[in-house]
Amino acid sequence: MILEILSVGLIISACLAIFLDEAVYSVAALAGTFFLTALLYAFNGALFVAIFQFAVGAGTLAVLFLSGEMLSETPTKTSQKNLLLITVVGVLLSLPAIFLSISETPAALSGISFGEALWDLRAVDVVLQGFVIMTVALGIVIVLHEKRKGEK
Amino acid sequence: MDYVILSLILLAIGIYGLLTKRHLLKVFVSVELIATAATLNFVMLVPSLGKGLGEAFLILAFSTDTCVSGVILALLVIVHKKYGTSDIGDLVKIEQEKEEAVKVSEVEA
Repeated sequence: MILEILSVGLIISACLAIFLDEAVYSVAALAGTFFLTALLYAFNGALFVAIFQFAVGAGTLAVLFLSGEMLSETPTKTSQKNLLLITVVGVLLSLPAIFLSISETPAALSGISFGEALWDLRAVDVVLQGFVIMTVALGIVIVLHEKRKGEK
Repeated sequence: MDYVILSLILLAIGIYGLLTKRHLLKVFVSVELIATAATLNFVMLVPSLGKGLGEAFLILAFSTDTCVSGVILALLVIVHKKYGTSDIGDLVKIEQEKEEAVKVSEVEA
């Protein structure tokens, strides 16, 4: 029962994050989405994932709150009627997830350790991701260098 | 309850926001929702994938998500500093006005 309630809350907060007009409220709704997702993971026994979700979500939200505050222009207020409508739409959208089900895929790759999976099965992804992170870091260095040059 | 459908609904909400919202911060929120949907899908498929592969997928999904967030936020701040707005419609208008001004100056020259 609690998982169903969490799922409904998750969909409602996702709808609010998209439909609320003011940026800060939208980010607050996104915080709710992250929090409920982490709770959903924790109640399904995936504590490792829940902790990761909390950590990544907290970092993202801290930056988002700052930039949301900085970038928000003349806010338009969402009326109570619209808020109610968004909540109802969220509840309706979450119903298929609760009442429908897709047959589960057979257990094929159980028994593989994390290290094996990461380095044997997903090695290319890991290496490519390393390249992406390196490229981002290099890009930041170049941008900062150009900026400093321009200031001089 | 089916988590595949739940993540599909989250994905649909994210894509809707990505296509309809004009504010760049809302676009970013939509991208975050899409990433959350993908991660939820990976996590809930762990019983059929095996714990190790599930955790590996998860690490990759989270690190990609964080990279994407960093790049989008950096672009957002740069665009806002350069143009003074974060509305996509206003940005398009500014660019069109710039192009028109360049064409007029070329014709005059």
